[in-house]
This record gives sequence, structure tokens and C-alpha cells, in this order.
Amino acid sequence: MIRYDLIVIGAGPAGLSAAIEAARSGLQVIVFDENAKPGGQLFKQIHKFFGSKEHKAKIRGFQIGSELLEEAAQAGVEVVLNASVIGLYLDKEITVRIEDRLLHYKGDTVIVATGASETMVTFDGWTLPGVIGAGAAQTMMNLHFVQPGKRILMLGSGNVGLVVSFQLLQAGCEVAAIVDAAPRIGGYGVHAAKVARCGVPFFLSHTILQAEGDDGVTGVTIGEVDGNWNTIAGTEKHFDVDAICLAVGLSPMSQLLQMAGCEMEDHPKFGGLVPTCDAYGTTSVPGLFAAGDVSGIEEASSAMIQGRIAGAAAALRLGYFSENEFVLRAEELERALSSLRQGMFAPENKGKKLSATEEGCPVSEHLLRTGFLTEDEIFCYPGVKKIKGIHPVIECSQNIPCNPCQDACARKCIKVGERITSLPVVDEEVSCSGCGMCVAACSGQCIFLVDEEFEEDYATVVIPYEFLPLPRAGEKGIALDRSGKELCDAEVVGVKSLTAFDKTSLLTIKVSKEMSMRARFYKKGVRVG
Amino acid sequence: MKKNDRSREIGRFQPLPDDERLICRCEEISKGEIRKAVHDGMFTLTEIRRYLRTGMGLCQGQTCAKLVRDIVAKELGISAGELERAAARAPMRPIEMRAFANEGNGGE
Repeated sequence: MIRYDLIVIGAGPAGLSAAIEAARSGLQVIVFDENAKPGGQLFKQIHKFFGSKEHKAKIRGFQIGSELLEEAAQAGVEVVLNASVIGLYLDKEITVRIEDRLLHYKGDTVIVATGASETMVTFDGWTLPGVIGAGAAQTMMNLHFVQPGKRILMLGSGNVGLVVSFQLLQAGCEVAAIVDAAPRIGGYGVHAAKVARCGVPFFLSHTILQAEGDDGVTGVTIGEVDGNWNTIAGTEKHFDVDAICLAVGLSPMSQLLQMAGCEMEDHPKFGGLVPTCDAYGTTSVPGLFAAGDVSGIEEASSAMIQGRIAGAAAALRLGYFSENEFVLRAEELERALSSLRQGMFAPENKGKKLSATEEGCPVSEHLLRTGFLTEDEIFCYPGVKKIKGIHPVIECSQNIPCNPCQDACARKCIKVGERITSLPVVDEEVSCSGCGMCVAACSGQCIFLVDEEFEEDYATVVIPYEFLPLPRAGEKGIALDRSGKELCDAEVVGVKSLTAFDKTSLLTIKVSKEMSMRARFYKKGVRVG
Repeated sequence: MKKNDRSREIGRFQPLPDDERLICRCEEISKGEIRKAVHDGMFTLTEIRRYLRTGMGLCQGQTCAKLVRDIVAKELGISAGELERAAARAPMRPIEMRAFANEGNGGE
């Protein structure tokens, strides 16, 4: 039996953060993870994260993973991979399977950060090869560089479904549709908008009736559901697809905590069975803590802070932190955590229908049903103003915890303010330099630079672009509107890829003046008709 | 209503068109088999698990636990939340007997 001050189970965002926090306070820490690579889901996340600058906003998930690993190494954390914890017992003793051996460890404190597993739904044909979880699709694309299919249907319009759909497009797959049984899109509007402008249609209040095929998926039929989740006859729609992705939710992997005898609670707001915890992740078993998705499904940004808090709590328990030091540290972290839990997607707003933002702007039902704002609606938001010369147009219409745009503008033309969930305001008094930093900094890719005075009859629109190959300056193609429909001819007049943009390229397209507030995407080709 | 009240009338087993659908993929148990098990008197998830081996395969219920629970709850006419979860016990992950045999054999 080997003893450690702290044993962390799971090397994802919560587990690594907990280990770093505790090790920095002086604890001897070991982390076990059953996977061959650390980082949990972080290394599959190629998109920029939301949140505030202090908590790694606008940094891509995999880079956050690398940073955490580096910090863990510097703090002297021991990370053991391919190590499955197969038992957790009341006295904080664990059994770990490493290769062919079963080893016993004992922690004076144990933090369980095992994350979550994907929820499945069944339909006729759901066991056919080609029906996969969204997580599997990410693993295939982002870790192994394999396309999950050529043409894919996504079930689930939460952030996972939206983000993975965009990644499928980036990987060169076609997304036939995003389907959700709920009547409204569940994820961030900005995530939906960036998929919609690529031409992906949304089918809300729809579910999968059947996956077709003999040896693998060759097609799928969806149908509309009524308020009682019954399918409405005659609403069936068929798509030829070779893969179906399921992104219908996550369940906490809390079995180890259940096994250790923790008091558990079962609540849909947490995504399933979770340990009863206090604000520091303390379970009913003394010295045993939980952090991250295992204690309730949230975003990775929250998981990292929860991990820090649990790490600090473990340090307090073992006397490495004084009560005072702990209170100060915990207060700071809790403030950060609560700022991420504000806004329209806050836990208490889950499932609620909101009609206005904190600022009193109307919530777009159109966005929630189709994935994009109408041209009339966009002027309702404080980030969209009629200004002469080049200026940012921020199509951010929901209160989400995110503010990198504010810091991106050297001239302070964009203001979010103290409340991280507030809608960004464009200050018409401050002139925009057109540097494009805000466009690249927006994790939701909802900032565009519009210049209606580029030429007499032509305007330019700067759009964030994360596809390869990059168009070249001088190339002629087609401007797409927010729904992905072909709008007008467009000429690429500039392509900017700076290190500071972190792989988001800025495409400047020239379109006729009256299209400046409609053209939001670009594709190569010649318009027909 | 007590969830384990076995004198409770839940009616006769009525076949459904999707009874053939596989629910537990690892152990290849269909929806119909799970529903029949309830009518055979298996009112708890632990009993279902022992009777049919649902959730006892390679994925250890990671995929089907929630699905089985919903089916059993519906058959009993209660909400899924009222149904107690099956016990969680070691080994939490599938493991070869060889690894167990090696315990204490050079292991700590």
C-alpha cells in the first residue's frame, strides 16, 4: 500500500486543476487516469473557450490541456496514465489496475474528478455501425484525423452538438442537419449561428425515427414531435447520410463515489446521480471530494475552477492551508465560478424560456429555431450600430459568460463591463482601427468588421474564417447570408493570419454596398441563376 | 407507493413493436426481454441486472444503465427518479482475472 497526501482520480480539467492547486500548497499528489493521454476531453477541443481572460477564455481547449500539464509537472504532480481506478473504499483506499497488476494506494484525501459519459437514445437501427456519440466523432477527427463519415446528421443542439457540427465541417464532412426534440436550440446562439451560416439546417421539435442500412448507416428518417414527444404522422423527412452523431447529453460518472458510500442525489439539473457536496466539493465522506462533471454537468471552464477549490479544500484538511489562507483563496475562486454561472445559460435558467436579455433586448425566437438572427433583429443588440467607416458589428444576442472582445480592442471601442455576461456594447465615439483583433478573439465568431465606404458601390466585410485551404486575395466567389444561402458575388480582398489571431484567419470580402449587413460567410465558386 | 411493493398490479406483459430493439449492447439484451423481466417479478435494477446481465458487459452499463432504468420505470408506472440505482461495486472497469491473480504477487 502506497500512501499519498492526495490522490486525484481523473486527469481532465478538474482533476489536473485540483492536483496543481494542492501540489502548490505542498501536498504530495498523484493523479490516475484510465486513458493513454491526459487532459480528459480537453485535447479534443479545438475551439476557443468562452469565459474571462483570467480563466483562459479565447484559448483553444487543447492548448489549455497543454498548459495544465505543464503546470502540473512544474508543481511536482505525478500523473499516471493507463491506470484504471477500479475501486474506492470508505477509508479512502483505492485499487488501481496498471497493466497486469492491481495496486493499492491510500490517500489522506481523495478527489474524484472522473467526468461524465455520453447519454444515448435508442431508435430503430441505433446499433448500426455509423451511429456514434459526438465524443467519438471528436476523437476520430481531432485526435486521429479520421472523418467519422462523409455526410452526417447530428442529433442534439446543445453546445456539444453545435461545436462538434462545426468541427465536422472543418474536417471536410458535410452536416446534413442538426436535429433536436426540444422546440429550441439548447446551446449558445453564437455556436448555432456559425454552423447556420455554413448552410446547415436545423430541425427543432424533431427526432430520429429510424437509422437505415444493413451493414452500416446509409440513411436516416426524422419526424416532428408534438408537445408530448409523440411523432406527428406525415412529417417524416429522409436524409442520405453515412453517420449519425448523438449529442443528447452527459451523465456524471459518479459510480466510484457511490461505491465509497457518499450520500448521493439524483437530479436532472446535475445530469444524473451526483454526490451531495458543499461549495468546496466536500462529500459526506470526510476527506473525499468531487470536482468537475462528476458533481454535475457544466463547462470545462467551471470544472477547472471547481478543481482548484477542491484542491484547496484538501490542502486545508491536511493543514497545508491555514483557515484564513483557505477562505481568501476560496472566495476568489468562488467569485470566478459564480461569474461563469450567470446569464441566460445559468443552471437556474435551464429549460426556462426567456424573453429578454439582462439589458432588456428581446430574445430572438428566430435564432432559437433556425440558428440565426434575422436582419431586422440584429439592430436590437448594443453591439450592432450604424457607424461610418470600418467598425465592428457584434452579433452577440445572449447573456453568456464571455468577455475577450473587450480586452481585444486596444482603442476600447468594445465594452462588456464588470458583468461578464453583459452584451458587448460598441462605442460609436471611439474610432475603429480595423485591426481585427476582436474578430479573432470572439470565441463565438460573431464579430464582423463592416466598412460601407470601401468604394462607392462596394462595402467590405471582415469575417472570421477557420477552414482550410484559405481563399487567396483576389479570388472571386459567393457571399452567403446568415442562413448559408447564396447572396451575391464576393471578392476576397484580404486574408490575414497573424499569430495573435491564433489560427482564426480574417477574410475581407468585397460585396455590393446593400449586402454589407447580410453577407456573413464566403464560399468559393460561381453563383448560378 | 413503495417501489418494491411486489403485490402491486402492473398488468400483463403487452408486446410492443420495438421489443426487438437491443438496449444492452454488450450483453445483447432487448427491450422486450427487459420488459418481460419486470413482469417476471424483477422490480429493482439490481434484480434486473442479475436476472438478465444488463450493464454487466464490457462497458459496465455506461451506455445502457439510463436506458434500462427508463424502460423498467415505465413498465412499473413510476418515474425513473423513483427507481433506486443499481449498486456500484468493484471492479469499476472490466478487468482480466490475471490482474486479480497478480495481486499480492509482486504487487504492493
